[in-house]
Amino acid sequence: MLLALAWRNLWRRPQRTLLSLLSMAIAAALLVFMLSFQLGVYGVMKESTLRIFDGYAQFQPDGYAADPGLDRTIAHPEALLEDAVRIHGVTTAAPRVNGFAILANGERSYGASVIGVDPVRERQVSSIAATIRDGRYLDPTDADTAVLGASLARDLQVAVGGKVTLLGAARDGSVAADVLHVVGIYRSGIPDLDRSILEMPLSRAQDTFAMSGRASTIALVGPSLGGDRALPALGAIARGNRVSLLDWGALEPGLRDALTLKYVTTSLLYLTLVAVVAFIILNTLLMSVLERTREFGMLLAVGMKPRLIGRMVWLELLTLALAGCTIGLAIGAGAALWFQHHGIAYPGLGELLEQFGLPPRLYPTLTPLSALLGPGAILLAITLGGIVPYLRVAHLTAASAMRGA
Amino acid sequence: MVVIAIAGATRAFAISAPDADAILQRAFDNYRAGSSTTSVGMTVHRQDWERHFDLKAWTRGQDDALVRFVAPAKDAGNATLKLGRDTWVFNPKLNQVIKLPASMMSQSWMGSDFSYNDLAKSNDIITEYTHRLLATEQAGGHTVWTIEAVPKPGAPVVWGKIVLKIRDDDVVAEETFFDQDMKPARRMQTDKIATLGDRPYPVTMTMHPLDAPDQWTRVDTSDGHFNVKVPEYFFTLSNLQNPRP
Repeated sequence: MLLALAWRNLWRRPQRTLLSLLSMAIAAALLVFMLSFQLGVYGVMKESTLRIFDGYAQFQPDGYAADPGLDRTIAHPEALLEDAVRIHGVTTAAPRVNGFAILANGERSYGASVIGVDPVRERQVSSIAATIRDGRYLDPTDADTAVLGASLARDLQVAVGGKVTLLGAARDGSVAADVLHVVGIYRSGIPDLDRSILEMPLSRAQDTFAMSGRASTIALVGPSLGGDRALPALGAIARGNRVSLLDWGALEPGLRDALTLKYVTTSLLYLTLVAVVAFIILNTLLMSVLERTREFGMLLAVGMKPRLIGRMVWLELLTLALAGCTIGLAIGAGAALWFQHHGIAYPGLGELLEQFGLPPRLYPTLTPLSALLGPGAILLAITLGGIVPYLRVAHLTAASAMRGA
Repeated sequence: MVVIAIAGATRAFAISAPDADAILQRAFDNYRAGSSTTSVGMTVHRQDWERHFDLKAWTRGQDDALVRFVAPAKDAGNATLKLGRDTWVFNPKLNQVIKLPASMMSQSWMGSDFSYNDLAKSNDIITEYTHRLLATEQAGGHTVWTIEAVPKPGAPVVWGKIVLKIRDDDVVAEETFFDQDMKPARRMQTDKIATLGDRPYPVTMTMHPLDAPDQWTRVDTSDGHFNVKVPEYFFTLSNLQNPRP
């Protein structure tokens, strides 16, 4: 009964109601779309950074992150690798040997990280293979080959087909020395990587650095690792094998902090939007309540309880908010879904993303969270704000109300 | 009589108000002399393993040094040459001389607890630091001075400060290296002092990184000749790669 009354009351002033609906719908749609877009963009940022080299998570020997060195190793990486890829959500686990050496070509010499990689697995984990600009990536049949970053190659003045001498310390304290043939030069787009990393076949690196059968780290990727669902299972494997599991935030703390900061700043923006819309709607409703004081007096006079009138007004507000938010949700989610399918092109961004081996367009990601958070916040704000007109109406008396207005 | 008295007085004066710069310079001169030829055993100890090397070292003045590994067979032939501020390494497997890039100078030298910087910048303690006498004490029949060395402003060094204990026979008994946060990072301890050639010499020294208790590198000097002329060709790149007898 009350709901029917409220609904009819709303349409006594269709223009005003439509305007209120529209403002709420626009705000809700904006929130849904912006949040989805933000999730999508941050997802791309996260992925583009992590897929270059780190992977979404890593197994590392305990204490390796603080003090990486050849004396900290994973003794039996094969067992870990098999266990890891058996977990739902993990597609590839790539073992690596991380050494450090002087790289020399004739008179020129530079210090660099020398990473021993399994060519097949590494290709699925890191986008370095996709950013080869010259030559090719490592092959499973390779022995004494290497790929290195463009800046490092330029510093060493070495090209594809050239040779690089490697000199460093091995795990057992002996000298690690090797001569490698350059088969490829990559340009990851990250200056630090392009200047400082040489990749060579895993087994050769294990020989050179006296790491036979061992690995320094194991990089993990998988479609749902980003959603962190596989992490607890991986953590159990890590504990069982007495190694550490580092999630993406631990691998890239700078990225994690940057994203958190962005979420905080944009949520302030969203909060402002919600507050403004809520105030507009409340203001409109309060106006209408004031206009209808005489009418309320009449209702009181014929015996309607003040609280019941208050509830009716509140219901008007709620119905309006629910309708507005639903429309907004539909529009926002529809737009997000459409763009999720078709992508948003952004001038100049395409080439940059393709460099990282990523699709050249930005895609919003509609999730239950991004769909419901904005409309939910508006609904909540208006429901709470509705207390003001409710209280006002609930304190009316028949005589004063009919005289007033 | 008078001469002895004056000599005694100056000596007493020298001891009562010793000059930190001079103490350090004398210790350095005693260690390196005008030139030196030494045979050294180096033991690198780690939690899981221990390796022993034999090597020969030649120095010329304060700036130049050549170190050649002679045993074990796996490492024999590796050599490091330092001329002024430049350092080259020779590896027999590669049969190649490689100049060390500046970025690599802080790396471990032959897997030990010494860095290339320890070789290349050995006289930095004299030239790049200011010295202050902290304490004078008596120990084992010797006067031992504690000297604090603080980098000069803008000096290209890695340590926050270095504190040395130097005996009055010009032997460094202990050297503690502090990082930039002034926390002790590693300590070189002289375990045994004996007469080597013509002088008192720290024949056994151990470097302890203080953050890794199971880890140390010991240097035993078994044979030493000082101020014996080392042929000029020793300190050349061609001799580094193709040693002449």
